[in-house]
Formats: sequence, C-alpha cells, structure tokens
Amino acid sequence: MSGLSLLVQMGLAALLALSVSLPLRCGQLSLATPGFYAIGGYVAALLSTRWQALGGAAATYPLPSLLLEMGVAALVAGAVALLVGRPVLQLRGIYLAIATIALVEMLRVLNLNLEWSGGAVGIFAIPQPFAGPGGYLAFTVLLLAAWCWICARLDRMRLGRAMAAIREDELAARCMGIATTEVKLTAFVLSAVIAALAGVVAAHFLNTWNARQGSFDASITTLAFVVFGGSRTWLGPVVGGLVLTALPELLRPVGDLRLIVFGLVILIGPALFPQGLITPERLDWLGRAWKSQGR
Amino acid sequence: MSGTPLLALTGLAVRYGNVQALRELDLEMHPGELVALLGSNGAGKSTTLRAISRLVRPSAGGITWRGRPLARASTEGTVRLGIGHCPEGRRVLARQSVATNLELGAYLRRDRQGIRADLERCYERFPRLAERRGQRAGSLSGGEQQMLAIARSLMGRPELLLLDEPSLGLAPKLVAEVMAILAELRRDGLTILLVEQNALAALAIADRGVVLEAGSVSLRGSAAELLANDALRASYLG
Ligand SMILES: Nc1ncnc2c1ncn2[C@@H]1O[C@H](COP(=O)(O)OP(=O)(O)O)[C@@H](O)[C@H]1O
Ligand SMILES: [Mg+2]
Repeated sequence: MSGLSLLVQMGLAALLALSVSLPLRCGQLSLATPGFYAIGGYVAALLSTRWQALGGAAATYPLPSLLLEMGVAALVAGAVALLVGRPVLQLRGIYLAIATIALVEMLRVLNLNLEWSGGAVGIFAIPQPFAGPGGYLAFTVLLLAAWCWICARLDRMRLGRAMAAIREDELAARCMGIATTEVKLTAFVLSAVIAALAGVVAAHFLNTWNARQGSFDASITTLAFVVFGGSRTWLGPVVGGLVLTALPELLRPVGDLRLIVFGLVILIGPALFPQGLITPERLDWLGRAWKSQGR
Repeated sequence: MSGTPLLALTGLAVRYGNVQALRELDLEMHPGELVALLGSNGAGKSTTLRAISRLVRPSAGGITWRGRPLARASTEGTVRLGIGHCPEGRRVLARQSVATNLELGAYLRRDRQGIRADLERCYERFPRLAERRGQRAGSLSGGEQQMLAIARSLMGRPELLLLDEPSLGLAPKLVAEVMAILAELRRDGLTILLVEQNALAALAIADRGVVLEAGSVSLRGSAAELLANDALRASYLG
C-alpha cells in the first residue's frame, strides 16, 4: 500500500471511530457503524455504476455526483437509523451491542443474497472522482475535519451536554428535563450518517464494494479504535482510528511479529489507560502545561 | 383549602410487575404548601414521586396539574410544566463541575439572563457551592452534594418541588441545615412535596403529613396532629 493510500485508510478509520463514539457519548454501546458504512458504500456503488446521468462513463467521475451520493447515503442511513433506533435503543449495555451486531449481520446477509447488490461478487469498476490517492486524501481530510469540528462543537452545545449527562446518570438526566430517548436517537442517527459518508468515499477509493465491507470483525475493530483512543472527547476516537490503522503497516518490517505487537498494544492500551489514551483531564493538563511553557 | 389544587392525585396506583407498590393514593397540594410524605423503607414514597414526574406509569388513578390531567405527559413535559423532581440519592453528575450540574438543572430554559441571575441567587443561598463551583461534584461531601442536588432542581424554576429523602445519610446537624433551607424555600412561596423517613425533622417544617405503609395511606393530618399522634410516635418518632 502506498503511503498516501494508508493515510486515506487512516482518515476513513478515524471517521468510523467518530461514528462509534457518538452513541457512546450518551452511554450507548452501538456496534452498528459497519452496517451504515456498508449502506453508504452500496449507495455510492449502485448510483455511480447504474445511473448513467451521474457521469460514471466520464474519465473522471464528477465531484457534484459524489456529493449527491453522499447526500443520498446520509438520507438512507439516517432513515434506517431512525427506524431501527427507536426499538433498539430501548436496550441497554451488552444487549444493545448484540442487537446492533445482529443488524450489521442482517444487512450483510441481505447484501450477499440480493440481486441488485451484486450478490457475493459485489459491484466492480466503481468510477473514480480523483486521479490518485492524493485527491482521496484531500477529500477525506476535509470530511474528517468537518466532523471533528461538529463533534468538538457538541461539547458546547445543549445536545453534547445532554449526551454527557445521560451517560453519567440517565435518571438524573430525565429529572433535568432532558428528552433522553430523543437525544440518544439523535446521536445514533448522526453516527449512522458519518459511517455512511465514510462508506461512500471508501467505495470509490476501493473501486469495488461487496458484502464483506460491513461485518462483525469491523464492528470490533471500530470499537477498538474508540476504546484505545478514549470515548470522552472527540479527539480520542480520531487518534485511536489513525494510530490503530497505521500500526500494522508501520510494523511491517518486523514481519509476523507485528500481529503480536498489534495485539499487545490493543491489550495493554486499555489496561494502562482504562478511559483510553485521551481524556478531558489529560487534555486540560496538556493545555495548562502548554500555557505555562509559553510564558 | 379552596380553589383548584396545584396537584391532585386520585386513586393513584402503581405496580412493578407483581409488586403493588402503591394503591389508591389521594392527595391534593395547594400552592405554597409543604406536605411531608412519610413512611418506612419500601412504603411507596419514591414510587409516588416517580409517578408524578412520569418516570413510571400508574396502573390506575389519575394525576392532574392545575386541574388538567397529566396522563400523556413525558418527564420532560412535567419539568416544563413546573414540576421539579430531586431524586433519591442526590444523583449529582460526579464528573461534571458544580457549575455544570447547576446549568444542567436549567436545561429546558432559554432565558440566559434569567439563568445567570438564578445562578447568582443560588450561590448566595448556598455559599459553599459558590466556593466550589469549579470543582467536580464528586469531590463534594455528602451534605454538599445534597445541597447541590436541591440547588440543581431549583435552577429549573419549579413551582412544585418533589424532594426524595434529602436527609438520607446526613449527620443531624446537616439534616437541620437542609430542613432550614426547605423552610426558607417554602416561605419564598415554593410548593414542596417532601419524602422523608425522618418524620420528626420533616413534620417540624411541614404543614401537613401523609403516612404510607406498604403502599397505602395509614395516617394523614396536620403536622401538629401527626406529631401528637401516639401510633406515629411509637413507630417513627421513637
Ligand atoms: N423498579 C422496581 N422494580 C420492582 N419493584 C420495585 C421497583 N422500585 C420499587 N419497587 C418496590 O416497590 C415498593 C415501593 O418502593 P419505593 O417507592 O422505592 O419505596 P420507598 O421510597 O418508600 O422506600 C417496594 O416494595 C420496592 O421493593
Ligand atoms: Mg425511596
């Protein structure tokens, strides 16, 4: 894999980590992210290969068409999240995790067996909006920056504060007048939208899309990003996604040992930092240290 | 008392599965009253408050607010109407600062200036919270956390405050302090439904009292009557 391609993968992983972290910010362990990622990828793959008006036959796929796909993917994923979220978010803890894994698996089996999604083979020759990985990288960085900004803004918004309150004590949150069901649903829908947008970019970037793209493994991997990086800030998941995606590649020189090292990092990280690498307290401390340095 | 009551419970009953936690409770609260809801552990006191703020659904009976039925309201809706519920066990957000806890108490309000003014008033009423406003709520003592819980409920500007066992786990001196604050709030016109196991402390500041036993009312009357009641003295006042 070229360096630029790795960077694109890292950026997409960071987006998926943000997607997992949003429900977690209100205490909801949802593993549905890969399912919405798959939906986004299929929307992109189907629209760009089957709908000629979008310009799939041109040498470079038009950017407006890509943006249109993103809009459609966001709508479809958001609608599915809204529909599924109401019943599913009644579940708590491990039960919610299992129900969302079941959702991912159902979508996978559906995609595997449906005619229009290309069955087991999937969809090939997805048109390219960018000439090389550089374009994908720029686009992914923009997308990631936008979502980082939104997630950072959340901390100062009512929605973000309500999410933090629900995570700490749902009953207390309800007594404050927070509509906990609606807040949880909003986080779930936002999570679905981020994942679907990442899926759109990934489908073009990978050039092919099939049912393997949204699977149980991916649920666990994306969760690992968040557990490793820490789920209480927006920066934690991003760092987790970036680092854990880069690590296997960076460890390539040590050969087969790399899987062991990678496993150790995933194991030791949470043991040393139970709240993840990045917590609000550590960020505050860093901020203060930075300021006193400046003086 | 005359006029439409602020809150009226008629034949209120709540079940948790097979457990009948509350049966046939009638209670009216008029503006400015402080009513003590007494009874031992498991009597159904918290359940009554949960039913009023729609945290649980009654199995029978009705609740009206200013004469209007609350049947379809959500908890958020009851807070909007002016019912503040300060739940059992304080339940402050331990990881958030004192100030953030208080601001979250005003979650549904949009009047920024009013919120800021109320925050200042709250710091005047609870000077110890003012000193600790930047501290994590989890680092406060039990008494301070109870003050914070009450203050947070007040930030929602309730007309009726449902207060669940504020004296729980507090030293006698702190219990007296909490009761003094409640008496003061009452003088300022707040209507309070005070759930307590500490009957003596609650009746000292209440207008009336209702005693629950295994989900049913066993006694009710003015605070003076209840304090003089032999049965109550025997079972609760020692
Ligand atoms: N969530 C629940 N599920 C089942 N039973 C409950 C629940 N909450 C309370 N109860 C039961 O309902 C009865 C009344 O409880 P509660 O209202 O909490 O009493 P109090 O506040 O007076 O101590 C008790 O018997 C208690 O065990
Ligand atoms: Mg109780």
